[in-house]
Amino acid sequence: MEIIDGFVNAINGIIQSSGILHLQWQNFVMIGISIVLMYLAIKKQYEPLLLLPIAFGMLLVNLCPEIMAAQQTTLMTAEECIAAKGSTSGYATTVINGITYYDVPTYGGLLYYLYQGVKLGIYPPLIFLGIGAMTDFGPLIANPKSFILGAAAQIGIFITFIGAVFLGFTDAQAGAIGIIGGADGPTAIFVTSKLAPELLGSIAIAAYSYMALVPIIQPPIMKALTTKKERSVVMEQLRPVSKLEKIMFPVIVTIIIALLLPDAAPLVGMLMLGNLFKESGVVDRICKTAQNELMNIITIFLGVTVGATATGTNFLKPDTIKIIVLGLIAFCFGTAFGVIFGKIMYKATRGKVNPLIGSAGVSAVPMAARVAQKVGQSENPSNYLLMHAMGPNVAGVIGSAVAAGVLLSVIPH
Amino acid sequence: MDDFMAKVTTSATMLLTGFTVVFSVLLLLILIIYVYGTIMYKLQNRDKTKKDKKQPQTEEKPVTKMPAVQAAPVASNDEIPGEIVAVIAAAVDSMYGDASGKVRIKNIKKSGGRSPWANAGVLDNTRPF
Repeated sequence: MEIIDGFVNAINGIIQSSGILHLQWQNFVMIGISIVLMYLAIKKQYEPLLLLPIAFGMLLVNLCPEIMAAQQTTLMTAEECIAAKGSTSGYATTVINGITYYDVPTYGGLLYYLYQGVKLGIYPPLIFLGIGAMTDFGPLIANPKSFILGAAAQIGIFITFIGAVFLGFTDAQAGAIGIIGGADGPTAIFVTSKLAPELLGSIAIAAYSYMALVPIIQPPIMKALTTKKERSVVMEQLRPVSKLEKIMFPVIVTIIIALLLPDAAPLVGMLMLGNLFKESGVVDRICKTAQNELMNIITIFLGVTVGATATGTNFLKPDTIKIIVLGLIAFCFGTAFGVIFGKIMYKATRGKVNPLIGSAGVSAVPMAARVAQKVGQSENPSNYLLMHAMGPNVAGVIGSAVAAGVLLSVIPH
Repeated sequence: MDDFMAKVTTSATMLLTGFTVVFSVLLLLILIIYVYGTIMYKLQNRDKTKKDKKQPQTEEKPVTKMPAVQAAPVASNDEIPGEIVAVIAAAVDSMYGDASGKVRIKNIKKSGGRSPWANAGVLDNTRPF
């Protein structure tokens, strides 16, 4: 009889602690959304490297919210402590009003600890280290005017900031929403984790979704703002860039940006360190690690933990819809301003610059540059804009990091 | 009304600051990169011309006469080797053969400009969507 009682109690305890009885309807909706995102990542291959871990993190946290629970300390009297833990030894004590309490810790969930890398702004700069180790800044060095297009595409960030402020978001939240227009996932996560961590899930999902949709969002804007003649411009071949120039570039950029905008230093500094690894050619092992193992490990941690911030109660709010709409506006404005400045350069150079390359200024490396190539080639099949578009594209990465530095230095957090 | 004005002030300040700082920093970078790029380019050209000037002097006093090497026969546009034509035909067939039925290749000639490897790289970078 005692065995059966014990068995019933054990089963009862398992049922009571299971998610089935504790989950709310929002959690089930989020589980559905996570499955849709997994489908998009696997079947449609929309940014699968990040969308898949994000979707799975979302699934995990909505099935088992404790996995993201923070570490806590409970004050217990000696009797309570003995009843709960069996003894009082090993616990620190606190005396309140003459009564001794034992500080009994409850450890946090796995993803809570991994999330500290996001919360403390560690993962995004490490991702930038890997990106730097993979990026060739040659097209930008060969044609430094590309920086103008990289800067122009950041205007969308600040215009969206205005929209978000008027929709009732706080300045910090508006800054975090605006950065979606930079079309740079690590930068968006870095800024949001500092300005508005409560919006991290929605902003990360919006940012990565729009980056995956670059080939769908950008071409209509590019075509609407340019004429057939402008789209058909064949650009001159870029000059060769020497190794010394490539080595000096990361050092110079770091000195300028870290001096002028210290808030952008973690992102730009790591990006340029990775690039120096690559271009110096003397630390091949480190460079390969930054490009592959480190990048992949951080991508897993970043994706899963960012996804884990999207709990039902956090995500299913009218604000999320506003963020998704504002994110799209930011992206469209970024593309549009890039193309408009491309047109200005077209006029200024008397038709030597194809304005389509301006659209690549929104970062999203290398997809935005590929889109410029694709749209240009649809007008003139023998036109190869890819390398020309890579200049504004990598300038956009630096530009969005600078814009992030501006937001972080201007908005109190 | 005060709230509205506060929002307008915040927005205008942010837009102006953002626009000014981002453009100033990136324009400064353009200037610096342009200057050092030009210096590098000139230095390299100077080194190159120095080397070019030195080159004939060293060639004037050969130690021993090397036996003349016969130049490999270069295929003209009309004389692409049969094996190469067969490989190109097989590649074209594997790409387009299934989709459009039989493929007839009427002409194969060398194109100028980009090397086949560069073309392959561009194709690889632009194919996925």
